Amino acid sequence: MIKHYDLIVVGAGPAGLSAAIKAANCGMHVIVFDENQRPGGQLFKQIHKFFGSKEHKAKIRGIRIGEELLAEAEKAGVEVSLNSIVLGLYNLKGVSVMRNNQVEHFRGENVIIATGASENVVPFEGWTTPGVIGAGAAQTMMNLHGVMPGKRILMVGTGNVGLVVSFQLLQAGCEVAAVIDAAPRVGGYGVHAAKVARTGVPFYLSHTVVKAEGGDHVTGVTIAEVDSHFKPIPGTEKHFDVDTVCMAVGLSPMSQLTRMAGCKMIDNGGAVPEKNEYGETSIPGVFVAGDVAGIEEASSAMITGRIAALGAAGRSGFISDAEFTKQYEACVNSLNQLRQGMFCKANKGRTDILTTDEGYPLSMSLLTKGYMTEEELAKFTNLNAHQTGVHPVIECTQNIPCNPCQEACKFGCISVGTNITNLPGVVAESKCTGCGMCVANCPGQAIFLVNEDTGDGFATITLPYEFLPTPQAGEKGTALNRSGAAVCEAEVVSVRTNKSFDHTMLLTIKVPKAYAAEARFYKPEKEGK
Amino acid sequence: MKDYLDRTFDLGPYVPEEDDDLIICRCEEITKGEIRQAVHEGMFTMTEVKRYLRTGMGLCQGQTCGRLVKNIVQNELNKKISAEAENTARAPMRPIPMDVYGKEAE
Amino acid sequence: MGNIKCADMIVIGSGIVGSSTAYYAAKKGMSVIVLDKDGVIGNGASSRCGGGVRVSGRLEPEIPLAKYAVENIWPTLSEELEIDTEYHRSGNMRFAFTEEDLPKLAAIKEMNAGYGVNIELLTAEQARERCPYVGETVTGAAWCDIDGSANPLKTTLGMYRAARKRGVQYVTGDAAVEIQVVRGKARRVITARGNIYEGEHIVLANGYGARALANTVGVDFPFRQKLIEMFVTEPTKPMFQFMVGAVGAAGGAYGHQTEHGSFLWGGDSGYEHHPIFEEDAKCIQQTAPAISRGTMAFFPALAELKVIRTWAGWIDLCYDLYPVIGPVEEVPGLMVAAGYSAHGFCLGPVTGKLLAEVAAGETPCVDWKPLAYDRFKSIF
Repeated sequence: MIKHYDLIVVGAGPAGLSAAIKAANCGMHVIVFDENQRPGGQLFKQIHKFFGSKEHKAKIRGIRIGEELLAEAEKAGVEVSLNSIVLGLYNLKGVSVMRNNQVEHFRGENVIIATGASENVVPFEGWTTPGVIGAGAAQTMMNLHGVMPGKRILMVGTGNVGLVVSFQLLQAGCEVAAVIDAAPRVGGYGVHAAKVARTGVPFYLSHTVVKAEGGDHVTGVTIAEVDSHFKPIPGTEKHFDVDTVCMAVGLSPMSQLTRMAGCKMIDNGGAVPEKNEYGETSIPGVFVAGDVAGIEEASSAMITGRIAALGAAGRSGFISDAEFTKQYEACVNSLNQLRQGMFCKANKGRTDILTTDEGYPLSMSLLTKGYMTEEELAKFTNLNAHQTGVHPVIECTQNIPCNPCQEACKFGCISVGTNITNLPGVVAESKCTGCGMCVANCPGQAIFLVNEDTGDGFATITLPYEFLPTPQAGEKGTALNRSGAAVCEAEVVSVRTNKSFDHTMLLTIKVPKAYAAEARFYKPEKEGK
Repeated sequence: MKDYLDRTFDLGPYVPEEDDDLIICRCEEITKGEIRQAVHEGMFTMTEVKRYLRTGMGLCQGQTCGRLVKNIVQNELNKKISAEAENTARAPMRPIPMDVYGKEAE
Repeated sequence: MGNIKCADMIVIGSGIVGSSTAYYAAKKGMSVIVLDKDGVIGNGASSRCGGGVRVSGRLEPEIPLAKYAVENIWPTLSEELEIDTEYHRSGNMRFAFTEEDLPKLAAIKEMNAGYGVNIELLTAEQARERCPYVGETVTGAAWCDIDGSANPLKTTLGMYRAARKRGVQYVTGDAAVEIQVVRGKARRVITARGNIYEGEHIVLANGYGARALANTVGVDFPFRQKLIEMFVTEPTKPMFQFMVGAVGAAGGAYGHQTEHGSFLWGGDSGYEHHPIFEEDAKCIQQTAPAISRGTMAFFPALAELKVIRTWAGWIDLCYDLYPVIGPVEEVPGLMVAAGYSAHGFCLGPVTGKLLAEVAAGETPCVDWKPLAYDRFKSIF
């Protein structure tokens, strides 16, 4: 027997679930198939706080967004079928599924493919040795299964995935020997790079892996600098003893189902189906949403999922034209906000951007080494008003769509403005109460509360801290600067935790006041392991 | 209409490269040199390379090596391969044991 | 595009039949151009079939062709083409699953005996002695030891490569739409892109497409299209090398274990007889499950083996179930080799050889007259 649904969604990630919720709320009979044991797609590995603005669920951790989506889906009456492998997309919008150890056949009046993407690989000598894994795979091991991918890791790739996973590896207790990229510039957000660099991890841009050593597992890796043709330059080799090499070299859409069905395909960072503005492919009633339509991120996936659902609902008469237009336009506006700024698609691969929209010179050190110099930071006069007493210092120097800092401060100390890609600005006249909400909420962990002179020859710095073991008030350790170099002794003044900080500790350290502008990370005296 | 190709050109003699022994298709253990050589022998599309060498015919069905093979073939031919000309995908999307495949629900 | 190219022979279809014809013609010193509507060489049956190379189970007019192929061409083809075609003369076991089907096996034995092809009838126990994996529901088998299999992908591409080496020009993505007759002779092939290919000999080796092209010069063949599906499994330890087939209700199922260790199985669910037509043959949801059940009936031991890919292809099914091969006398210059009705792979190379011989004015290695295009007689 072939079962019919108004809408079949393949993939219960952010795009698929968002689509299903929207469709169900329009009255469609919807089923979502996902091959995993748990729904939420990549969201459940994403333990970091999201960017964007409130409507994009900024400052909320991926895992929580996943939970919220699930609750909404349940409330909307969406049928989510897990451990269900969609075997193929056939003629007549037929979907065959393997679940419960048998095969079932379905037909959808509409089908939304939201199968996401898979990791790319970069081949080098020794890349098939056990221990060479994708960064996403490492993230799954750590964050879903609680397994350390390795003890000492080299990360290849400085896009957001490489940077975020490097940080999460550190949080899991792994050592990250270095982060490398064949490109001359860090590909992901500067704030993500900065979080990693200040723990002491070195960045090697314009470097590639020459060889991964080891017989039945990785024991070391050699990298080398590359020339303008990306060929290794002899004599520039560097060696690291590592047991794991993580590849974060991009994602490719998993568009196989649409290929199989015969959708017309085009190239968009991988073969994807040609689609119209609602995500409908060349096969009427077959839509795509999320990364499978083109690599972006979870926040955009949620919106493109809703758009595809509106397309399906409109096609099958579940929504009036007027209501469709209203909702569709709202989605497009929301999506466009995310698709701007320094890292937007149009700017991909560009190495000629030298200033922010506001005209500040971009930190070249951040782009080539992962951390800013004090001189470069000083040029951003908007980020530190040097008020007496505790005041915010914001080290966010690239135009990215993000504004939770503005919302976080109830006293109007931080302003971003209506365009969420604007750099944040500290409002000089404002009175900072030192509550720390900005520090905790910044998804880039780029805000610090600094008191440049506490009157006793010292300064205090409150920084966001997400590592174990939890430091204790009174303990002594070392303050590191932005490049991870030790600069002075640091004493822990306080460690604040609060439900509203959502697992980000606010660590206040005391350092000699000469280091107020430098000390940006804390290393305990003895490693807790 | 499918891509037009007049195949009467000659790519010239095969020039070995240093990394010819790099494994590209992990599932079937096919090297870069084998792929380059196949192109020189007339396999001018990804599908022909696949059928000739088995690249992309293993368990992962090209999910890992597809992009790599495409780049190597494009390089060797000095010609871009369109999305339409990439390898076709077919069911099942994941390997499925025959006894499960044979059990159709009522 | 409006290009004009000339050669001694224009072949339409780059699969095993077309590429073989081109190869053997080039060997005789002819200049040859091969056209294919697809962007990929041999993307029809030649890359979708099960690779059976058999003499048994054929209809009388094809037997001499099949015998010649298996005796004179296949055993040395790998050497000739400098590629491993994976040809193995490992035999063919045809099963019956009911008592009622047993006489069908005996009938096959008798029919083949008339053509000098030896078939051995086996009881179910005997079949199991030869192959311990044979299932319990099998009632008997017919064994032919000169049948075998090869790898159609490598053989076809190997033939293409060898033809190219001998100067054959291939043009892909250029679909022939019309044959033009000039002063009573078939001379030109016109393509959808407006290109013209002119030659002394025009060979239609493009499966079902041969019919529409033949129509443009007033000739027709009673072909229809039927869908057929196959799947391939993950590799496993070598279990048995022979081809497998069946009679009776399971008659559509067939397959074998490849050199790679994977199993290739084909069959259908019934929908294939009246398929929804589209250029790129698509699988039907119910068919792979049906093939799975058929395969497990043959060999229960395969139940846990994982299926990794399914595909479908079009059979150019001729009314009387065997191909049309040879010159078309009313249109001098035109030759056809199509309608192989699901068993053409074995006959591809020998067809190519005989057409090349005909084109060169030589006595062909096998007489094509029994397979002529004008053999069709009305019932009344």
